[in-house]
Amino acid sequence: MIEVTGLRVVLPPDKAAVDGVDLIIRPGEFVVILGRSGAGKTTFLRAINRLTEPTAGEVRVGGRAVTGADPPTLRAIRRGIGMVFQQFNLVRRASVLDNVLAGRLGWAPPLPTLFGHFPAEDRRIAQECLAQVGLADFARRRADTLSGGEQQRVAIARALAQSPSVILADEPTASLDPALTGSIMDLLKMIRAQRGLTLVVSQHQLETALAYATRVIGFRRGRVVFDGPPAGLTPAVAATIYGEDPG
Amino acid sequence: MKRAALFAAIVVLAWTAWDTGADPVRFVRGLPWIADFLRRMLPPDLRVLPAALLGAITTLEIALLGTAVAALLALPLGFLSARNVAAPAVFHPARATLNFFRSVDTLVYALIFVAAVGLGPFPGVLAVVAYTTTSLAKLYSEAIEGIERGPVDAITATGATRLQVLRYGVLPQVLPLFLSYVLYRLETNIRAATVLGFVGAGGIGFYLQTYLRMIDYPAASTVLLVTVVMVMVVDAVSSRLRARLV
Repeated sequence: MIEVTGLRVVLPPDKAAVDGVDLIIRPGEFVVILGRSGAGKTTFLRAINRLTEPTAGEVRVGGRAVTGADPPTLRAIRRGIGMVFQQFNLVRRASVLDNVLAGRLGWAPPLPTLFGHFPAEDRRIAQECLAQVGLADFARRRADTLSGGEQQRVAIARALAQSPSVILADEPTASLDPALTGSIMDLLKMIRAQRGLTLVVSQHQLETALAYATRVIGFRRGRVVFDGPPAGLTPAVAATIYGEDPG
Repeated sequence: MKRAALFAAIVVLAWTAWDTGADPVRFVRGLPWIADFLRRMLPPDLRVLPAALLGAITTLEIALLGTAVAALLALPLGFLSARNVAAPAVFHPARATLNFFRSVDTLVYALIFVAAVGLGPFPGVLAVVAYTTTSLAKLYSEAIEGIERGPVDAITATGATRLQVLRYGVLPQVLPLFLSYVLYRLETNIRAATVLGFVGAGGIGFYLQTYLRMIDYPAASTVLLVTVVMVMVVDAVSSRLRARLV
């Protein structure tokens, strides 16, 4: 469960990227956040785990307050929230398996991890997550030798390795060949079904939202302008989300 | 504006030439003496080869040990003086300290350490450590400032601690660069260490200075040849290793 109340995020110098958002996302939902680029989708997602610090308002995940949490509490909350990025954000020079193992950092004993040591159980989980995204044979390859689609799968495996209850995915298909959009979205859908995860995926493609979402939230200029099932996405609603800004 | 700058540059350079007594005629008159000097160096006196080789080994040791210790000491300093990692309250004093200590050359440090701990290779090692630590820390910090933000965000999002973020988000991005800088410093330190012996801080420079003082030019030329070969070999090996890292 993600509860967002009165969320405002002002980015320097003074752009209100998220400008008063109230939302409740229930466990197991597949939410697609729609909006043009610059509508505040990325900032909204990053505010949920405080990669970007909210200016005002409250965020709670799984009943725990993210806003105002002290560093240990914040880390414990972040551990339960997997995140997938538009640019994959893998460590390029590291192996595929090491990238996935990073997802266990919040769980493994911290001191040994500084010397590169993870318990056997964490290694097993990482291998398993890699297998789940269909890349078990790629474990030893250097991350930057993989194709874009494969790299995004590794990033999804890293998020899965956190054993999260929520996955936030920020335009996970925007840097990929359009032909790969379906395979990445299918993978997210399958993972949600198998693990009962809550998924919040930002997208700028209407068709993708219609095909996968159980709920669509339309953002425009930092505000929610639509919230409902995909069936409610009439052409008029789409125009509200995507329409040209007057003046 | 441009003309004024050009005119000012010419005036300054002319004055420096006058003040340093730079005189092409004097230089040309001196040329035969250089030829004479070179002639008297030949043939090299190979009887001093064992001594020269021992000196070369000491010089290598000074550079290797000094660079290795500095490479480690520079790690925390590099992170503390990187704008995107350290808090401003830490970053500014750290940078200022680095710039202060970096402005003194290895040879000057050697003079200080010879006075402090006595003659021999050890003050040479200390001098290499002193200069190299600060110069590597500066290079490290610049590498850290050039990293991609993305992987750092991704590691932070896993619930990692600050140290884990540095270890898994920052270090893998900068480590190959760090190693390359260390090798580059090793090359320059070997060159710097060849003259450390001049001030009593050990190594092959001691032999060169001794033979020159004794006006034993054939022996000095053997030492010079050993120095040249050593520097060239280390340069070749090190630059090959560096090419693999990038």
